[in-house]
Amino acid sequence: MILVPVTYRGGVYRHDEIVDLIEDLGGYVIQKHMIATEVVLLALVPKDDIELIRTIGKPLTGEVTESPLVGTEIAIVTPSLEIHHLPHPACDIAEYVRRLGAKSNMVGLARGFGKRIAMLNDEERDVINEHDIAVYLLGNFENCIKKKLPVLRRGIKVPIILTGRPDREALERIADPPVAGYVGNIGRFMHRTREADELGRLDAVVAEVTRVLNERRAEIAKDPLSISPARLMAVINEKVPEIREVTSPTPITVQIAALRVKLPYDTFASRLRDLELEDGITLGSIATIEPSRMRDYIMVRILPFSETNCMV
Amino acid sequence: MAGLEYFEVESTEPDGGAAYKEIAGDVLLDHNLVRVIEKLRIYIDPEIPIFIAVGVLRKLPTEVHLRDFSSVAVEGQTATIAIGDETYLAPLLDILWEKYGKPAVDQPDRFNITITADQPIDPNLQDMVVKDPSETLFKDLIYAMTNIAPEGFKVRRERYGGDRFSYVASEDTLLVPADALLSEQWARMGEHP
Repeated sequence: MILVPVTYRGGVYRHDEIVDLIEDLGGYVIQKHMIATEVVLLALVPKDDIELIRTIGKPLTGEVTESPLVGTEIAIVTPSLEIHHLPHPACDIAEYVRRLGAKSNMVGLARGFGKRIAMLNDEERDVINEHDIAVYLLGNFENCIKKKLPVLRRGIKVPIILTGRPDREALERIADPPVAGYVGNIGRFMHRTREADELGRLDAVVAEVTRVLNERRAEIAKDPLSISPARLMAVINEKVPEIREVTSPTPITVQIAALRVKLPYDTFASRLRDLELEDGITLGSIATIEPSRMRDYIMVRILPFSETNCMV
Repeated sequence: MAGLEYFEVESTEPDGGAAYKEIAGDVLLDHNLVRVIEKLRIYIDPEIPIFIAVGVLRKLPTEVHLRDFSSVAVEGQTATIAIGDETYLAPLLDILWEKYGKPAVDQPDRFNITITADQPIDPNLQDMVVKDPSETLFKDLIYAMTNIAPEGFKVRRERYGGDRFSYVASEDTLLVPADALLSEQWARMGEHP
């Protein structure tokens, strides 16, 4: 069964029927937003059943759209959180990828500015490495990007999308060794993205992120994970009732090959490790459970089949 | 940009320079400085690195007097002020409190102030200067320049006075070439410092 990431938008009235339907079909609701009288569900659903959800949702004014970024977490990295990058373009891009279902976090570096003095500390490095992908928003001068990039990418293991004002070819030329993706003609600007050509550039960022993440998914498909992150989320939701008391919008953040569980590590790590998934298989045997660098959360990284030799 | 008589941004990287022209335009608009500036020239060399802005202002905005936004009636030791525009109410109250003391200044509603002083009130109260916009103008201007300048250019030197200003910023210590480059910008704009 192939699960496809989709967004469902519809009225609040009888939306629980849609939630039940998705779960009955074997899909997973990753995130649910209630905005006034509208409900937005980010879900993974079986490919063959999208039409069925559309048909059942129609009388409830529901709309189903494909959202390639559902179930991913993206770091939007800027050299600082000063007026030079915020609210535009950093927030514009973070918001744009969010509309397509991704969970985006903005990472403003403490000392990322200046081409000679820029640096990345260990906490920032570890936080960025806890994402599926990092989008680097750099500035307008080729010279500066060339000098800064090697410093800002030191120790980063996740794929990087480099954006900046120079065009794509120039970015490809100055990134050594190459990064996963490039989007040119963005750089630093001080107004809201409203014009068609500006929105086109945001689309280019999303397209590049999607392309790189699809490559990553294809890579993972060659050696599949021992459990799908969405399924693991459902299991934790069911077996660790304390997660329902977490007030965060996403108590469990789903990534391509990992989960961030927003419960204190010291209290819950051993419970998660011993959590039985199926026939005596515990979570600890198919995933690593480590403290996250974000607050005192838990980072669950799912191991591939080749390492655990079991599939749940 | 409309409103400025002269507006140039030059950079050793022309594409980056074009981006900075857009940024400078946006920042000046956001900070309501377009009407204030007559000429502006920016030079950026990311290689050195250095950011230079030189500019000439239009006629400075005039002082705001009490009579400009209110009507005043003075009778011996009492005065009544009826305010038309609340914009300058805060600085006005500060001045009145300083002059007559808080207990003497009463504000029955948003648009009226009555003063009951223990000495005769100056009959020319309405000519009092409430605010001098040029005081904060240069501050706003320099703040706008720090917003325009590339981030990380923390070492800076600014000069202002009369109707001109200059702003030089870099990541490194500002050495001798900075002065030469600065005078070059003035010359290219057809002005003198």
